Amino acid sequence: MGVLNVILEAVFDVLFAPFRSLGPWPGMIFISLATGILMLLIFKKTSNQEGIKRAKNQIKARLLEIRLFKNDTSGAFRAQGAMLGANFRYMGHALRPMLVMFIPVLFVLAQLNLRYGAAALQPGDQALVKVILAEGVSADESAASLQAPAGLVIETPPLRIEEEGEVDWRIRAGSPGLHRLTLTVGGETVEKLVAVGEEMPAKVSPLRSRKFFDLVLYPGEKPLPKGSPVSKIKIDFASRNLPLFGGSVNWLIAFFVLSLVFGFGLKGVFKVEI
Amino acid sequence: MNRRSFLKAGAGAAAMAALGTRRELVQKVLGKTATRGKVLVLGFDGLDPRLTQTWMSEGKLPTFRALAARGGFSRLGTSTPPQSPVAWSNFITGMNPGGHGIFDFMHRDPKTYYPVFSASATDEAVKTVRLGKYVLPVKGGKVRNLRKGRDFWQILEDHDIPATIFKIPSNYPPVPTKQRTLAGMGTPDLVGSYGIFNYYTTEPLELNQDVGGGRIHMAYVIGNRVDAKLPGPVNTFLEDRPEAEIDFRVYLDPSEPVAKIALPDQELILKEKEWSRWARVRFPLMPTQNVTGLVRFYLKEIRPAFKLYVSPVNLDPADPALPISTPESYAAELEKRFGPFYTKGLPADTSALDNDVLDEGEFLAQDDQVLEESRAMLEYELKRFDSGLLFYYISSTDQRQHMFWRLLDEKHPMYDPALAAVYGGTIERIYRETDDILAQALAAIDKDTTVIVLSDHGFNPFYRCFNLNAWLKAEGYHVFANPFKKEERGLGFPSTDWSRTRAYGLGLNSLYLNQRGREAEGIVAPGAEAEALAREIAAKLEAYRDPQTGEQVILRAAVARDVYSGPCVADAPDIILGFSRGYRISNSSPLGQVNREIMETNNEKWSGDHMTAAEVTPGIVLTDRSIRAEAPALYDLTATILQSFGIERPADMVGKPIF
Repeated sequence: MGVLNVILEAVFDVLFAPFRSLGPWPGMIFISLATGILMLLIFKKTSNQEGIKRAKNQIKARLLEIRLFKNDTSGAFRAQGAMLGANFRYMGHALRPMLVMFIPVLFVLAQLNLRYGAAALQPGDQALVKVILAEGVSADESAASLQAPAGLVIETPPLRIEEEGEVDWRIRAGSPGLHRLTLTVGGETVEKLVAVGEEMPAKVSPLRSRKFFDLVLYPGEKPLPKGSPVSKIKIDFASRNLPLFGGSVNWLIAFFVLSLVFGFGLKGVFKVEI
Repeated sequence: MNRRSFLKAGAGAAAMAALGTRRELVQKVLGKTATRGKVLVLGFDGLDPRLTQTWMSEGKLPTFRALAARGGFSRLGTSTPPQSPVAWSNFITGMNPGGHGIFDFMHRDPKTYYPVFSASATDEAVKTVRLGKYVLPVKGGKVRNLRKGRDFWQILEDHDIPATIFKIPSNYPPVPTKQRTLAGMGTPDLVGSYGIFNYYTTEPLELNQDVGGGRIHMAYVIGNRVDAKLPGPVNTFLEDRPEAEIDFRVYLDPSEPVAKIALPDQELILKEKEWSRWARVRFPLMPTQNVTGLVRFYLKEIRPAFKLYVSPVNLDPADPALPISTPESYAAELEKRFGPFYTKGLPADTSALDNDVLDEGEFLAQDDQVLEESRAMLEYELKRFDSGLLFYYISSTDQRQHMFWRLLDEKHPMYDPALAAVYGGTIERIYRETDDILAQALAAIDKDTTVIVLSDHGFNPFYRCFNLNAWLKAEGYHVFANPFKKEERGLGFPSTDWSRTRAYGLGLNSLYLNQRGREAEGIVAPGAEAEALAREIAAKLEAYRDPQTGEQVILRAAVARDVYSGPCVADAPDIILGFSRGYRISNSSPLGQVNREIMETNNEKWSGDHMTAAEVTPGIVLTDRSIRAEAPALYDLTATILQSFGIERPADMVGKPIF
C-alpha cells in the first residue's frame, strides 16, 4: 500500500503542478473534470450500455402508459409494477460499473483529502500531537520523547495516559514550512510531518500509521515501520473548506458536484448511456 | 456564510443589478452615504475625572493631555443613578431615564415583588406542540430589548449615515437596524445569566462556599482521570426542562503538571496555571437540535488538589443561539476574521475573583484576553472606517476599578500591602492602556474626523454598605409578618407582611412604595399620600448618618418626578438613592433581602463603585474640539453627534450639542 501511495502521490503532484500557484479551485476543477471523464469511460467500458438504454426506454414507456391510461386503475398499477422492474434492471446494470469505479474514486478522494481536507497550521497556531502506542507498550514506561525542528515549539511535557496507551504533546507552529517532528519511543525513532503556513492545495497529512485502512485514507507519509512501538501519530489539524463567494464549501461536496456536472455534461461527447 | 446571509447577499446583489450603477442608488441600498466628516467615539466605561486629571498632569496619559490641549476636556454629567445601563441609555437615546425607561440594573415585577432584568426580557413560546417527551415551539418565543426611544445610530440610518457600534452597553438584543452593531453589556451567557462560571475542585472546603455567579463542583481524581459534566442551558425542548450538559474527561499525567481535557469534539492540553484557547462546546437538546457555546479552561492546579476553572459559556459568534449583532452576519464576520471571542457582556469574571476561584493575576490574565481581542477588532474597524460614525467600547476600565480599588486606597478595609505591592498599579495601568488605545485611534483617523472620548460615570471607593431594607424595617416602613418568629432573611422578601409594608428596596439605587393598584398587595394610596410618603422617606434617608463614622450615607434621595421627564416616569422607582462618596448599597438588599444590620463594612474584593449621587461620580469627555457647554452631560453628546452630521435633534431628546 505504501508503494501505491507513493506512486499515486507522485501522479497527483504532477496533475496539480500547473495549478499550485492559482489557488484551490483550478486544481479541484481539473481533477473533477478528469475524474468525471474517467468515470464516464469506466462506466462505458464496464456497463451493459444496451441494457441501460433498454431499461431507460422501458421506464419512459411505462411513464407514458400511466399518463395515457390514467382512467384505467388496474392498468396504471400494472405499468407502475413494470416500471419498478425496469428500474431494478437499470440499477442492476449500473451496479457493476459502480463497483469498478469505487476503487479508483476512493484513491482520488484520498489524494484530494490530503490536499484539501486539513488546514496547515499558521504561525502561532497550537496543535495536539497524539501518539498511540502499539499494543503491549506502556505509556508510563516508554520514555517517549519528542524533538521539534526550528519551525516548531513543543509547549508541554509529555502527557501519558496509560489506560489509552497514549502519549500527547502540544506544539506551536513557528515558521512556515514542512517540518519533521522526531518521536523516540523505546529507543526507536519515527518522524511525523507538520505543515505550517502552506496554502491549499498543499499536502497536509493528519495521520501516520501502518494500518491498511489508515494508509488508504491518509496517504502522504510512509507507513510506520513494521514492529514499531508506535501504532499511530495524529495531529489535530483543523478541517478546512474551499472559499466560495465570501462563504465556503466542503471540498467533498465541491468534488462530487463538479465531477457529476462534468460527467453528465460530457456523456454526449463520449457517447455514454447513463 | 449561512443560508440566510447568502440569500440576503444575493438579494442585495440582485437589487444593485436592478438599480444599475448609479452611485447614489447603490449607496442607498446598502445604507451607506459617504460622509466627508466622520465621528469617532471611544467609550471607556467608568473612567474617572479625578484619576484621569491626576495622571494627565503627571504626564502618564500623554495622548489624553495632548488632545485636551488642542480640544477640550471636561467632567461629564452622568445619569441618575450613575449605573452603566442607565448612563449608556442616556447616551444612546439623548434622553433621561424617564424617556428611555431604564432606571437600574434591576427592575421589579410589582405583582410578585421579585427582581427582573431591566434591559431585556425573554418571552417564551406561546404555542407549542408535544411530541412524546419533546415540546416543540410553534409560535412566539423571543428576546426583547426593553429600552424605549430611538438610538442615535437608528437616527443616523434614517439619514443614510453609516455607523458601526461595537459592544455599546444596553443594546442587547440589538435594536433593529441595518447598521453594524455588536451587543455589549447585558448580553447573557448561553445559560441566560450574566455569567455563570464552573469550577471543579477536590478541595471540600471550597465546595461549601455560597458563590454568586458560579457553580462549584466536586471533582474526584480516579486513576489520573477526572470525569465531569459541564452544565449548559435549560433544555426547553423537554417537558421537564432539565439542564443540557456535556460530559468531559480530564486526563492527568502521573507526575508532570500537565493534563488533557477531552471534550466530545476536541481535545486540549494544558499545563498547570495555563489558559486554554477557546473551545467550542455543543449541547445536545434533541435529535437534530443542539446549541453551541464557547468556553475557556484554566487549569489552576493539578496536585495536590485538582482545580479547574471553566469560563461562563459564551454565545458562539459564528452561530449565536441568541441575537447579538446586526446584521446577523456581523458577529460571524468578526469570528471568521479573528476566531472565537468573548460575547458575554462584561466578560472579565469578577465573581470568580471575588470568590477566590481566580486570584488577582489570573483575573487580569483573563481581562487581558478581553482587551487583546477588543484592540485587534478596533484596529480592523479603524482600517475600514471611511464614513459616518464608529463607536468603540472598552469594559476593562470599569471592571478593574471595581476589583482593584482596594489596592489603590490604603483606607479601604480590604487594602492588603503585600497585594498592593504587586497590583496597586493595576488601575493606573489600565488608564495608561486607554491612552495607548486613544493614540492607536488617532493615528488611524484623518483630519475630518471628530474625536469624542467619554466615560459613562466615574468611580469612588466602596467602604461601607447600606442595607436599605433593614433601614426601612427599622423605621417602620417595612414590616415582617411575625416579629417574634426567627426571621427568614432570604431573597425576595420571604417574611414580609405586605398588608402593613409601605416601602421596599429592590435594585441598586431604587426604592419603591407599596402602592395600591400598582403593587400586588399595595396599601399606599396613589396621589397625595404616596407623594407625602416619598418625600418623608427621602428626607429621612438624607438625614441618616453612619453610626461608625458620623457621615451622611445618602447624599441625594431623589423623588422620581423631580429628576425624570418623559413617557416612562410612571415606571420609575419612587425614590432614587444617590450615595455619598465611600458608600453603596449592600449586596443582598438589591435582591429583596432584609438584613439584621443597617450598616456593614465592605469586606469584598469588589471595592470601587459608582452608585452614588450623580455629582459624586461624573464621567469624562475629551474631544479634539473646544467644548462650549458649561456642564456637558451624557445626553448632550447624542445631540452633538447628530449635529456633527447636520441632523436636527428629535423633539424628545433632552440633550443639547456641546460644541
